[in-house]
Amino acid sequence: MTSVENPSEVLVETVTTVNGRVVTASVPARLHVADFLRQHLGLTGTHLGCEQGACGMCTVIVDGEAVKSCLMLACQLDGRNVQTVESLAEGDELNALQQAFKEEHALQCGFCSPGFLMTATALAHQGRRPGRDEIREEIAGVLCRCTGYDNVVTAIERWFAENPQGASEDPLPAVTDPTATQG
Amino acid sequence: MTTLEDPATEADGRTAGDRRNRVIGTSQLRKEDDRLLRGDGRFTDDVDPARVLYMAVARCPYPHARIVRVDASAAAALDGVEHVLTPADIRRDTEPLTVLRPVPGAPQLPYYALAQDVATHEGQPVVSVVASSRHVAEDALELLDITYEPLPHVVDVLAALEPDAPVLHPSVLDSNLLAANSDGSGDPDARFAEADVVVEGRFRINRVTALPMETRGVVAEWRPGARELTVHCSSQVPHLIRKQLAETLRLHESDVRAVASDVGGGFGLKLGVFPEDVLACLHAIALRRPVKWSEDRAEHFRSSTHARESVHDYRIAADSTGRILAMTNVYATDIGGWNSPFGSAQLSSVVFNGPYKISDGYTERRVTLTNKTPVGAYRGYGQPEVNFAYERLMDQLARRLDLDPVELRARNMVTPRDMPWKNPVGAVYDSGDYERCLRMAADAVDWAGHRAAGRTPRADGRLVGIGFASFVERTGYASSRFLAKRGSVFGAHESVTLRANRSGGIDVYTGVSTMGQSSETAFAQVVADVFGTDYDAVRVHAGDTGASPLNTGAFASRTMIAAAGALRSAAEQLAAKTRRIAAWQLEAPVDEVEVAGSVVRVRTDHSRALPLAAVYTTAITGQGMPPEEEPGLEATAHFEPSDAAYSFGTAAAQVAVDPLTGEFDIERFVLVHDGGTVVNPTIVEGQVRGGLAQGFGAALTEELRYDPETGQLVNGSMVDYFVPTAADLPRVELLHTAVPSPVTPFGVRGVGEAGTIPPGAAVANAVCDALADHGVELSALPITPEAIWSALAGRSSGGGDPELTPTAKDLPDGGVEY
Repeated sequence: MTSVENPSEVLVETVTTVNGRVVTASVPARLHVADFLRQHLGLTGTHLGCEQGACGMCTVIVDGEAVKSCLMLACQLDGRNVQTVESLAEGDELNALQQAFKEEHALQCGFCSPGFLMTATALAHQGRRPGRDEIREEIAGVLCRCTGYDNVVTAIERWFAENPQGASEDPLPAVTDPTATQG
Repeated sequence: MTTLEDPATEADGRTAGDRRNRVIGTSQLRKEDDRLLRGDGRFTDDVDPARVLYMAVARCPYPHARIVRVDASAAAALDGVEHVLTPADIRRDTEPLTVLRPVPGAPQLPYYALAQDVATHEGQPVVSVVASSRHVAEDALELLDITYEPLPHVVDVLAALEPDAPVLHPSVLDSNLLAANSDGSGDPDARFAEADVVVEGRFRINRVTALPMETRGVVAEWRPGARELTVHCSSQVPHLIRKQLAETLRLHESDVRAVASDVGGGFGLKLGVFPEDVLACLHAIALRRPVKWSEDRAEHFRSSTHARESVHDYRIAADSTGRILAMTNVYATDIGGWNSPFGSAQLSSVVFNGPYKISDGYTERRVTLTNKTPVGAYRGYGQPEVNFAYERLMDQLARRLDLDPVELRARNMVTPRDMPWKNPVGAVYDSGDYERCLRMAADAVDWAGHRAAGRTPRADGRLVGIGFASFVERTGYASSRFLAKRGSVFGAHESVTLRANRSGGIDVYTGVSTMGQSSETAFAQVVADVFGTDYDAVRVHAGDTGASPLNTGAFASRTMIAAAGALRSAAEQLAAKTRRIAAWQLEAPVDEVEVAGSVVRVRTDHSRALPLAAVYTTAITGQGMPPEEEPGLEATAHFEPSDAAYSFGTAAAQVAVDPLTGEFDIERFVLVHDGGTVVNPTIVEGQVRGGLAQGFGAALTEELRYDPETGQLVNGSMVDYFVPTAADLPRVELLHTAVPSPVTPFGVRGVGEAGTIPPGAAVANAVCDALADHGVELSALPITPEAIWSALAGRSSGGGDPELTPTAKDLPDGGVEY
């Protein structure tokens, strides 16, 4: 992390759990979550497209809910549980949702894919089984300029159909590494 | 999806039975996906070298202003600020930005990376600052003291051509007409004089933007001892970026390495070098530290290129049977404050007659400067604009003659017997059955039933209409010699290097960056297919000028058209040498040896086989080679198609319109499309659907609006520029035909841009069909309920503007690049 010499920079101590790891970090008060994840933790799968909460590229899951991480400050993560796209694949294997995206050609440039994946994952945490039109409404907070969305909807629909247990899974990954990580 | 011809039908002369590892024409899973789905892509903002610094750019807040004074001393003194560049630094250390595809006849404008004496659009860079973090760099911008003297501005493309308009570049031009050119053939004036019917109109096309989800960005790193400038950038054309950066920064091309690995969408916007690319490099050279700039979305709306905006005066002359005698298109196209890094759209001129067989035609283009963000390439690049105009006029002509609009179109289309057919500006339509697509679309929406049913309102009062839009799409480029005539600084070819490795794989090196068009996958499919090895054994390395042979880049739906030939040639060379080595080792005739998956074997006795890895190792070490063979197993090939290939199709839209409010729903949208031989059906369908989504956006909701009083972009954010979401788009039904093109390898045509072309015309024609009894004719995009309501109420705007009178006699002939 680059040191910040600007005296106007106020630092805040924050302890949070990211993808099952406890992270202790001293963050600038004005740093948003997406920059925190990308720049401090190297979790660059969370993308930035507008920093206005409008495009959805930066969607992550905080305490089980999809949030636009550009609209939340890193210091607000204190005591919270964060899940990013990097948590989805199981070892070398894509998880079932990622696999559905791959098989349904639900991505082209792939820049928006983390946003859709996390939105769909959070949707499953709600314990409902949305229909096709409902999926369209639920993912409307994430924009895509490549696919025309049809295949994204199909992939998510298929995932829900093939993973009936998915909706009841524990929404938050367990803390697997209690070692505090300095961000 | 329906495919009429077997895509395997053998444009290259082979039969399906010959193929051991046939992957062309099959839906292989994409090679790009695993990393992208894991969040492990390498986009420009993901590149973070040690000791990197961050750049922020101060931009002119006025549409037109003299820069009286720049005082950066307070900004430079802020803790964490490492470097500041002002206009004077740029004038001293750089050349103006060059244009990859200059408008023929246009003067070079002094477009520097920072505005010099005068800025000509809101958002033009004026000062740039590098600091320890983006926050600090942006803090420093607040401390800049820049004195502007606002100048009179003009943001309307027609007003900019008026004699009293403020002139943007008076040192170079005495008006805002950057260039004009024309082309045509026959005697259109005579045909209009003898015509039974003339339909004409003015059509306004909205200013939109490609809006890739990844904004632009650059990470520049200078190693002075090595004289190496490494530039990571989000670009469709890394080799051309390298050339432009070297020219602008006064470096040798060898000093620059451009890398664009994963690109988060381009759509034509990411062509050519932009001011910020130059600035980041200059800072990096001065500081000897890496410098990074990631464009934010507010900057993107004001400094990345816009697209489309134009005003077309179109005319069609016909006889009483509906045979078209002549067509003309005189138009003004807005290029904004500067000639953009890539240049102005020309395809509005090239395909102005669409799929219709017209010998007497004329097109004239006026490239016009206004105080707005520069306009550049965008998917379709001139073709959606003219399609909207000529397809609206086709429906008006049908109504005037009381003809079925489908029959009128069919009657005038270029037929398979006519092809190859040269249009009035010299573009050669290679092959295809345009009428079949039209008939398929009409059948799909039960056009006959709709015609028979009449215009009875539904119970809720809504009226149903069906509209068609037929189109041709120029894909790829005509040959390099034509590009040379027009001053383009690139060719029509692609190049690729294939290299065998000791693990039994083939590495493919290409300058075509990965921006969603699935080139990694398609390239591997072609190599696997031609070579005979497994798809999984082919690995594509994309977008690094340090590794790939010089190429042109990914635009104009040209990637597969041009690259397929290079890939085939290189794969054949590699396969031939592999077979010669194996034949010698297996003591078999070369003709009887074939590559099959992971082995090379004797065709008639599969037990006599060698692992490919062993053969490759032989070649790479040179140990155990046939005596006459040189060691090494690598091939570089170049390919230029003989001509552009024309995709084509017809869209049909069914809408239900409320005649009281103008609100409407698109109930059905069918696209029948022909992209020639299909390399990967899933990818083709994905490209077409994605193009349609952008086409619907431009047709229905997207428009960059400038306040004429202030010259400000009033909706320059994601919050109020309306890109379609998943909930907004109509359901689309796709049908395909697959007529192989005779001018490209494997018979492929481009597929990237078709979807952008017909939505506007098809939906407008459907609305006008529904509201025919109300006399509504739409002539502007986007098509909004408000626009329809205004038309219903007789409040259409557009009157009062001067006509764009043709000035052909003053213009050079043959000004159109085809």
